[in-house]
Formats: sequence, C-alpha cells, structure tokens
Amino acid sequence: MEDKKNTPKPGDEGEAQTTSKENPLLTRRDVLKIGGATLATAALTQLVISGPFSSDAVQGIGRDTHNNGHGDEISKYQWNMVIDLSRCIGCGYCVKACQAVNDVPDDEMRWNIVFPERTEVGVDFYMNRPCQHCQEAPCTRVCPVGATWVRADGIVAMDYDRCIGCRYCQVACPYDVRRFNWRPSENENLNVPQWGSPEVERRPRGVVEKCTFSVQRIDRGLSQSLTPGVDRAATPACVNACPVGARIFGNIFDAESPVTKYLKEHETFRLREEWGTQPKVHYVRPTNGRS
Amino acid sequence: MTANTLATRLSRSPLSTWLISLTTTFTIGVIGMIIVLVRGLQVTGLSDRVPWGLWITLDLSAIALGAGAFTFSAAVYLFRIKPLAVLARPAVFIGFLGYSSAMLALAMDIGRPDRFWHPLVYWNVHSVLWEITWCVILYSTVLLLEVLAVAGDSRLGKRWPRLHQIGHFAHRLTPILAVIGMGLSLLHQSSLGATYGVLSGRAIWFKPSLPVMFIISAIAGGMSLTMLASMIVGLLRRQQFLPDTICKNVTRTIGFITLGYLYIKIWDWAATSYYSNSPATADILSRLHATTPYTTTFWGVEILLGGLAPAVILLIPNLCKRKPLVMFALAMVVIGVVVNRWNITLSGLVAPPDWSPGVLGNIVAVSYFPSLVEICVAIGIVSYALLGFTLGVRYLEIYPHKSKAR
Repeated sequence: MEDKKNTPKPGDEGEAQTTSKENPLLTRRDVLKIGGATLATAALTQLVISGPFSSDAVQGIGRDTHNNGHGDEISKYQWNMVIDLSRCIGCGYCVKACQAVNDVPDDEMRWNIVFPERTEVGVDFYMNRPCQHCQEAPCTRVCPVGATWVRADGIVAMDYDRCIGCRYCQVACPYDVRRFNWRPSENENLNVPQWGSPEVERRPRGVVEKCTFSVQRIDRGLSQSLTPGVDRAATPACVNACPVGARIFGNIFDAESPVTKYLKEHETFRLREEWGTQPKVHYVRPTNGRS
Repeated sequence: MTANTLATRLSRSPLSTWLISLTTTFTIGVIGMIIVLVRGLQVTGLSDRVPWGLWITLDLSAIALGAGAFTFSAAVYLFRIKPLAVLARPAVFIGFLGYSSAMLALAMDIGRPDRFWHPLVYWNVHSVLWEITWCVILYSTVLLLEVLAVAGDSRLGKRWPRLHQIGHFAHRLTPILAVIGMGLSLLHQSSLGATYGVLSGRAIWFKPSLPVMFIISAIAGGMSLTMLASMIVGLLRRQQFLPDTICKNVTRTIGFITLGYLYIKIWDWAATSYYSNSPATADILSRLHATTPYTTTFWGVEILLGGLAPAVILLIPNLCKRKPLVMFALAMVVIGVVVNRWNITLSGLVAPPDWSPGVLGNIVAVSYFPSLVEICVAIGIVSYALLGFTLGVRYLEIYPHKSKAR
C-alpha cells in the first residue's frame, strides 16, 4: 500500500497529482477523525434509543423483558392455552370475540381462525388456531429491527411503532398466524358491540399484527390482582366467549390454574413438535363423541 | 451541443430509440411506484400466505448480479491480476446499479418506507436480515465511492473540478475499498441465502447449503453479467477491450465456477430430496409439481440451461472460441441465477408447511401471480439499471475510448 501511495499510477493525470499534493483532500488523521465520529454517533444513538425516548418506555409494553426471543429471563408467569378439539362445536364465537376486542374488522385478517377438518380415521372436527406463542419463536429471531419478541411470560409480542413491514416474520412463521395490514383498516367493526368492544388501537397500514393472547387484559388484570384464566376480565376474549369451555387458559407455573389442571388430566399434543418451536398452545385430540 | 444537433442526433441514431424506449418503461415504473406509495401494498398480488414475490426476486437477483463488482475489484486491486483492470470499472458500475436497483425494490416492498432507517437504529443482531441491511448499506457506500472515482476521471470530472477532486481521493482509497467490499460482499451474499436457510419451519428452505449456493451463484452470475455487458458494448463500438486470451481465461473461470455450483446444487438436491426422502420435503415437492412449473424451471432452466449448458460451452475449447455462443452461455448463467432466486423464494411460500392435525389440506392451497403494478415497478427498476448503464458507458468512460463510434 505504501509504495502505491508514493508512485503515481500511469493512468493518473498529472493535474490530479499536483492538486492532491498542494491541497490534500484528506489526511490519515482526517480519516481517523471521521471514523471516530461515526463510532461515537453510533454509540450515542444506541444510548438515546435505549433511554427515555425509546418506544419501549413510551409504550410500556413489557420491553424491559426484551430478550430477543431466547426466553432466557424468568418470570412468575408462563401463559399457556389448551384447546380441546373434542369439545369444539365450530360456532366461531372465539373468532368474533377476538375480532371485537382486538379490533380486527377485516375477516381476512383474523388472528384466530376456525375451520372444518377431518382426522386420518375420518372423524370430522373443527380445527382452531390462535398464535402458538412459541418459546423458540422463528418469527422473533428474524425481525431486523427487534419489533417482535418473546416476553418473559412467554407471550410473543409486537411493537407496531417499530415494525417496518418487511414481512420476514410472516415468511418465518410456519403456522401462518401473522397478518399484514395490506390496506388501511377503515371498515366498521361489525362484531362490535355484540361480541365486545375494542380494547386496543387499530394498527396502521404497512405493519404486521398477530394474536396477543389479549395481552392488554392479562397485564391490566395482574395489576388489579386478578388471575388470568380464572377472572374473566383478565382472560383472553376467545376463552371467555367459548360456550362449551373448549379453551382453557392460565399460568402453568401455578399448580392450581385451570390450564395446569387440564394439562394434567388430559393427553395433549402441540402442532408440529418436530419443528422445535415449543408452542404454548396445547390441543386435546378430537374424538368420535362429538354430536 | 446546440438544440439543432441534438434534435438531429435524436432523430436517427438507434441509441436514441433505445434511450427513448427505456425512458418510457422507466416512466411507467415511476408511475407504478407512486401508486404503491399512495395506495400501499394492496395493489400487489402478494398475500399473507405469499408475502414475498416478484420484488424480492428482483432484489435478490440485482444484488447477486452485482457481485461482479467485488469479484473483479478483488481480482484487480488485491490479487493484482493486471490484465483484468479494464473490467474493474464496468464491474463496479454494474454493481452500483445492481445495488441501487435492489434498494429501490426494497423501498417499494417494505410496508413502511418511512421507517427504512429503523434497522440502523433498532438492532436485532440475531436477525440475518439486520446483518444484510447493514452490509448492503455499507457496501452501497463503498460502490458509490468507487463510482465517484470513475466519475471524477471522466469528462464530468473535467467539467466540475470538485467532482474530480473527490473522485481522485476515492481513487486512492480503491485498494482499501476492495478489501472492505470483499468482506461485506462475502457476508451478505451468503446471508441472503441464509435468510431462507435458517427458517426451521419450512422444510424446503431449512438447509445449510443455501448460503453457499447463493454466494457461488452470485459470483458466477455477477462475473457473467459484467463480461456479457462488456462484450455487447465491444460489439456495438466495434472495439475490443480484452485480448482474446484474457477473455477466454475469464469465461473459462466462469465455466469452472458454474460447474462447481452445479456440483453442489446436484448434491444438495440428492441429499435433501432424493436419498433422504424426508416426508416434509417430499410433500412440498409433490405439491409444487402438481400446481406450479417448479419441476420444469428447476431442472430445465436452473440446472440444464443455467448450469450445464454454460459450463459445457465455456469449458470445451472448440465451443468457447465462438463469441456468440459464449455470449449465449453468459446470458444463460445470468438467467439461471434470476430463475433460481424466484424458485427459492416462491417454493417455500407457495407450498407452505401443513400444520393442521387434519387431512383435508385446505390450509396448503396457495397461489401467487404478480399484479400489473408489481410488474410495472419491476420493469421500471430494470429500465433504470439499463438506462444507467447506457448513460454511464457514454458519459463516464466506463470503458476506454478508442474512437467516437457508438
């Protein structure tokens, strides 16, 4: 490199050489200065965004438990859901309650879906699928801006203010639970007020959204000393709406919670365990006994 | 240059016809982009099941085909292969056009273009896409500096002395830029493959071979495009930039790289789809075969036309003497890379994993076709690159001038 600097290259014009000798554009010191300034700016940016101006602090949505999807941090709570497919009658009340409470007017954007299915031995049943809230969530790791993460209590959360709408999380999610706001959500929500009233803001065009286990109910309920899964005000809307008790919710760290008891008494499975995603939604197999 | 002569020139040269048609398609693209920005991504053919499509393919292809820049820069400025020096400028310029096209496509594709800066401020170091964003931005800066070095040397530099000065400074940085550029390129060209390769829930993508295949195909495709463009410009100007022996050496090298790529690709297929006979992959492949032209495009275009044919043409001494045949082979490598990026992106999305415990299979029926606006924007971005190349060749002295022809 040294000799390259001193010997003019044959292609260079003489004029350019003189210019650079008389009036060097940048010295090594300048380059170091610029480099240092860049690093300092980067460091400062990091300080500012993790400080009081961060969207976490503004939103207060549990970003303090941000752990980039590894779920290393310990919480007293671990929210799990059981869906008993042998009980489900396919009424779709859970879908409507979810749409009302989480303000999802567009049917194509349902966070929670129910559809007719058949087992290998020919038993008809209704499959339903909220977000699986994977502990090893494929979607959270890939987000280039950290707009989605696994909270310490196991809920896979979204920060709509940070999302850039690249949709890599949709590509990564093998359960098809994530919904993108292709168009502005302006329609009237036809499920309101019959099935509930909106408890969260509608999401803007261009960001991804998903089932949250009605996290607003859980967080508010806990602050009022309620027990999610037991007290209706602190329980996900879909669980409350189910007329046959096919959805059971609660904290699996609590031996007395409905979900822990149900898991103990029933044989359950999770969707595609071989993917290693460790979902927090458990299913009870459908049986022939359904009318 | 008076208006009169300009008008006369515009009226007869084939170059002006070429420029006018490119400007037209570019304008159509700009209109498409405005529609996208105003109305959002609802104007595309994308859906929640297939959230990535034509633009991601364009984006991946443009970056892959821009890999000639780091390859030839490294060859010339690091490994000091002097005879290739004439290719360094076109390679860097094509790379710059490729990366700027990719960033244009990405800006269209993200739901919130106003938040394009978020990856720089909000870090998730666990995300390959975060790493790619950083690398692409940094590498585009490197390419910009390298292009400035070229621009400063050209007649534009003579007109604006300041540009000349900046260009001269950038020129002195070139060897350092070549090192940085190679490092960044090796990182993100591979990570683009890892974008798909790390997704454990999608059997057809989840494999460690994807990053390797991406970088090798990018080098082959990038070198091919640079060579092809140089040969076309040479033909149009009736001028030869490279002695025949050097030209043959480069195309032979491309032939060997293509052969290596083909070898890894065949074994990748054999290991993941044939010998292992993994049920998930077999299921996806059978669904792709039933509903899409995937099997044909994979074997016909990617393997045969884009891999085997060019490798044979470029490596057999009797064939690689014939220039038209060589140009065909280079074009096939380029097309092979583009079709590969399309196939990879869509194969994992159009045949999604079946997570339902039932057997009706309703959740796996998915299809995608780009909308008119999507196609227009894509054509517009390609026109931008072609327009940029044409103007660059004309005004930036990308290639050494021997005559005023063209």
